[in-house]
This record gives sequence, C-alpha cells and structure tokens, in this order.
Amino acid sequence: MAKAPVAPSLVRNRIAFAAIFCAACFAGITARLIDVMVISGAGEASHTAAASHPMRADFVDRNGKLIARDLPVSDLYLIPADFRATQWDTNEAARELAAITGVDEARLKQAFGAKRGHIPVQRGLSPDRREAVMHLGLPGLEFQDGYKRFYPEGRMIAHAVGQVDTDDHGVSGLELGLEKQVRGSETAAPIQLSLDTRIQYVLEHEMDEAMHDFRAKAAGGIVLNVRTGEVLALASLPDYEPNLRTLSTGDSIRNRLTQDVYELGSIFKIFAFSLAIEEKTVRLDEPINIGNGLRLGNHQIHDFERLGPTLSAAMVFAQSSNIGTAQIEMRSGPSKQKPFLRKLGLLEPLKTELPEVAAPLYPRHWEEVEAATIAYGHGISVNPLGFVAAAASIVNGGTMIRPTFLKNETVQHGERVISEETSRTMRDLMRLVVTDGTGTKADVPGYDVGGKTGTAEKAENGSYAHHLLISSFCGIFPIHDPQYLVFMMLDEPHGNRESGGFSTGGAVAAPAVGHVIAKIAPLLGVHRTDTFAAATP
Amino acid sequence: MIRILNFAFVAITSLVCLGVYRTAEGARVDQGELRSTRAAIAREQNALTVLGAEWARVTQPARIQVLTERHLDLSDKPAVALSSLTQLPPKNQPLVPEGEIRAAKAVVPQNGTAVRPTPAVSPQPGVATSDKGFAVLHTGT
Repeated sequence: MAKAPVAPSLVRNRIAFAAIFCAACFAGITARLIDVMVISGAGEASHTAAASHPMRADFVDRNGKLIARDLPVSDLYLIPADFRATQWDTNEAARELAAITGVDEARLKQAFGAKRGHIPVQRGLSPDRREAVMHLGLPGLEFQDGYKRFYPEGRMIAHAVGQVDTDDHGVSGLELGLEKQVRGSETAAPIQLSLDTRIQYVLEHEMDEAMHDFRAKAAGGIVLNVRTGEVLALASLPDYEPNLRTLSTGDSIRNRLTQDVYELGSIFKIFAFSLAIEEKTVRLDEPINIGNGLRLGNHQIHDFERLGPTLSAAMVFAQSSNIGTAQIEMRSGPSKQKPFLRKLGLLEPLKTELPEVAAPLYPRHWEEVEAATIAYGHGISVNPLGFVAAAASIVNGGTMIRPTFLKNETVQHGERVISEETSRTMRDLMRLVVTDGTGTKADVPGYDVGGKTGTAEKAENGSYAHHLLISSFCGIFPIHDPQYLVFMMLDEPHGNRESGGFSTGGAVAAPAVGHVIAKIAPLLGVHRTDTFAAATP
Repeated sequence: MIRILNFAFVAITSLVCLGVYRTAEGARVDQGELRSTRAAIAREQNALTVLGAEWARVTQPARIQVLTERHLDLSDKPAVALSSLTQLPPKNQPLVPEGEIRAAKAVVPQNGTAVRPTPAVSPQPGVATSDKGFAVLHTGT
C-alpha cells in the first residue's frame, strides 16, 4: 500500500517551525554576544578601572613638581595554619622574609609557629617589595592592596599641605580643605597649588638660620603675590614629618601662621597710617610732638628708644614711634578705626582653602585708649596670614585680596579699601622705613625693598613681658611696582653680637627677609632696577 | 526539495555552532590575554607612580643644595643684572648711530706680525688709514 503523501500545509508548518527554531537560536546567540561583549565586558572594564584608581588626586606645585601622591602599597599578613599545612622550613622562611621586609627574624619565626590567627607582618609594602615577597613563593602569606599618601618634600610645606588619616581622609591643611576636589575627580587630575617648592625652600632655610642664630622658640614666614593673592610659600617652624604617623621630639603640627593669633606690634602701624592718610588727618611733613611719652587715662605710652622731642609724621612711621602713631590715630578715633580694620578683614576669621584659621581677638569696648594701642599693634591679636592679606591690600593699589593656595594668575580686583593715591604714599613710607628707618637691614640693592618692622611684647601673667618678644618684618618688593610680599616672624628671639644684642624686628627678622628677597627675586623673574655698573662697587 | 532544505539548515546550523564555538574560544583566550595585559599596565602604572614620587623626593631643593655644596665649587653670590630693560632703545631705532656703523672698521695683521693697537678711526668713510704692516678693512659703503 502506497504511503500517503504528506500534506503541503504540514510541510510548510515544519519549515516554519525549523525557521523559527533557527531564528530563536540566532537571537539567543546574538543576545549572549551582546551581553558578553557590551554589557558584562563594559562592567568588568569599569570595575577594573575603579579598583586600580587612587583615592586622592596628586598635589603639584605651581611648576608641576609633585607635592603629595597616593602610592600603591600592600599590607602583608601571615596565616600560620596555611603555612604549617606545607612542609616548609620555618627558619628558612623567616630568614628569607626578614631579608626582604626588614621585619625582625625572631618575630617572624614566632609568627610562623603560631597556632592560629591572621598576623600582620608589615604594612605599606612598596610594589617592588611585594613582588619580591611573591617570588619567595611562601605559603600562608596574604596581601591586602591599598594606597598610602606620600609627601616627597617631607617636612617642607608640611603645615600648608597637611595630612591624611589611615583611611586616606584629609585631617589637616589643604588635604582637609580641598577634600572634595581631591576625592571628587574620577580622572584623578592633579591639583595645582600656588606654592613654589623653590621659594618654600629658601624661606624655610632662612627662617631656620634666623631661628638658630637668635635662639628663637618658633618662626613663621609667608611669601605672597600681592596682585593675585597666591601664597607662594608658607612655613611654620618647628615643623613635622608628614610621612610618619608619630612626632619626633621638638616637632609641632601647629601652623602658627593660621592657627595662632598674635599681637603683632608696630607692623600694625601700616593700617594706622593708611587710615590717617586716607582720611587726610595727617600731613607727612607735619611735626608730631613725641616728648617723653603720652599719657592716656591710666596708661602711659612709650617708645622703644627716645626719638627726640618732635618727628615729622613720615619719620614717626619710619622710626616706628608708638607715641606719634597713637596721636595720629586718635585724630580718626575708634569710630573710623574699627570699620577700617573690619574692611581689611582683620576682625573676621580669614577664609582660605586652609581650614584651620583662628578668629582674631579684639576688645569688646573699643574706646580712645584701645584705638591708640591698636594703632601700634597691641590690644588686637590676628593670625599672620590675615595680617599679610590686609598689608598686601594696602600696597597693591588699595584693593582687597583674598589669599589662595590654588594656582590662579589672574589679578584679583576686590573691594577698594584705600585710594590708589594713599596706596602709593604708603609704598613711599614703607620704602622710607628701609632707607632711613628701622628696617635698613632688609635692603637688597636693586630690588627696592619697602616694609615695616614689628616688635610686640608677649603677655605673661596678665601683663606684658619686656623680654618675651614677637619680632617680625613685612617686606614688599619692588616697592614702587609691588609684586611680592615676604613676611617673617620670630617667637621669643634673643639678640646676639651680630644684632648688637637687640632682638627687635628690625634686628632679627628684617635681615632674614632681605636674604630671602635676594634669593627669590631672580627665581621669580623680578627685574633689578640697577644694572651691573651700578651694582658693582 | 524539503529534504535538501533540511540538510542545508542542519549544515548551516552546524557551521554556525562551530563558528560560535571558535569565537567563544577565541574570546576566552583573548580575555586571558587582556587580563594579563591589564595587569601588566597596572603594574607599569604603579611603577610610574612610584618612580614619579621617587624623582620628586630625590629632587628636593634641600637635597640638591647639599649635593651642590659637596660636589660643585659654586658660591652663593647675589644675582647681578648686566643691563636693564630701560637701557634698550625704542622700537625701530638703530642700536648704533648710522655714522658709527659707516665709520666702523676691523684691522687684521699681515705677514704674521703681532697685533698692534688699532689706529685711530679715519674721519672720512672709505679713506684708509695707513699703518705699516696692517691692512685696514672698511665696512659699509
């Protein structure tokens, strides 16, 4: 019996079924390919990238030199149970591991022999040491990879840059102040600071020498661009080693330039004279009666040395007469002095990228006597960085600047605090201090240094101690077209033979600032105003 | 016809399966290579990171200062400006007056004789100053 022919409709159904089956297979394969190549692949790639990404961006100085970087490190652990499961010789293993890691061999032997546990052998192994340990092929060793913040400059710039904790979170300085920027970047682009390691070195070196020569307790220094507000160097001594978690004897993590406030003494006369000239309450050639002192209520104001019966107003500033300055200030009075100092930012905590900034201290009742003493820098305490910002605003043409630790070469045009004319007069007065006043030791031929000295007595047991001084100098160069300000202060310096036994700002801080200017001016590309013929005797 | 089509389908499917297998195998091998390449890149990046930090450490100004003092005979002298921008002439003004350029001359010794002091400049351009043993070369027109 002949086989019945298959119906055409059935054949079509089978073909359709086969076609659908094949199409489903291809669709499945295609879907899987997309999954493997696009979805999972991309996920894996980003995961790998994320795993190898440092947690914090680098800090570099204004010339691109590295200041801080996260370095890949590994923590090495030992699991003694896993080690003992093999037949390795404990003595040999301990000797080989000690040779690479530097860990005490006896301690390692003891660790290999332990019954149980997860024993830390060494933290922060560098990649090459990790490789060397890997090559030993010892069983029972485990690595935990991570990053450790490294500061190649060591102690230098330690106070400005700050530190991170063990979890790589900023805890001080710019590490804390710039935490969001440092951790926010996926690409880990370096953050360029305004600091210049060359200038920083010169400043620290000169500060260190001055501190040693005059047996000072501490020192602080700042170099600031008076136009852009960029801080090129900030140093506070004693300092500390940021790569270590412990402090050595004599080290200090305190940044004296921002965390502490001081009565800065006569250096504050810059503001008293700025106000008087701006308010036109004094003529520079006007004779001011100095006499033997000035009595204000129960207070007697003296000068450091007897300066004569009268001085011109200009020489009151140059010779730093407290008596003369107090009289000039009293013409303006507290009603004008307080708003003026507030406008200069001296009565508010300074806002910069550095988070540790102390608030200024000033009298609640600001009357005539307070105004007179504040005129010569007593009765008001400010942090030196705040003072430097205000002084720069006086000499730069009269517009307020805000110090910044980020590289930004645009000239700041802040609020006007004094007129251009007053600013020019103040620059002339500051030059007079260096040519004919108390700051002659700061002079550097060819760079037209101007400045102001300051010597403040420290308060001790409720009164001022004559032997405990804060001696400082604020230098600006070139004074007729000011570009940079160099400030230095020494805490409790002692006079030596070189300073004639004096420990005043003009005797101890001014020469150090002069040395700094002589060294950094060529580095900063500041042109000399004299030439070879004039510079050589 | 249907049988041929079926065979064709089966053959194509088999070939596709083979192709997919080859691709999967190739991908597996490539993935392994990719993994090791990525590890090598990460190692190199780590090495670069460490070397960069090491370079910054060895170029510390304090260290350079010590090395300079130890190995180089340099003195700590203040910088001296040989000239100043104010001494430059205004733009488009000749550095030397035209007359001086015209009168300029150089003197070279003849017959190996020793160099003697340059004779006085001839006041007239183009007129040679005679001096025994010397040839006077005039510049300019």
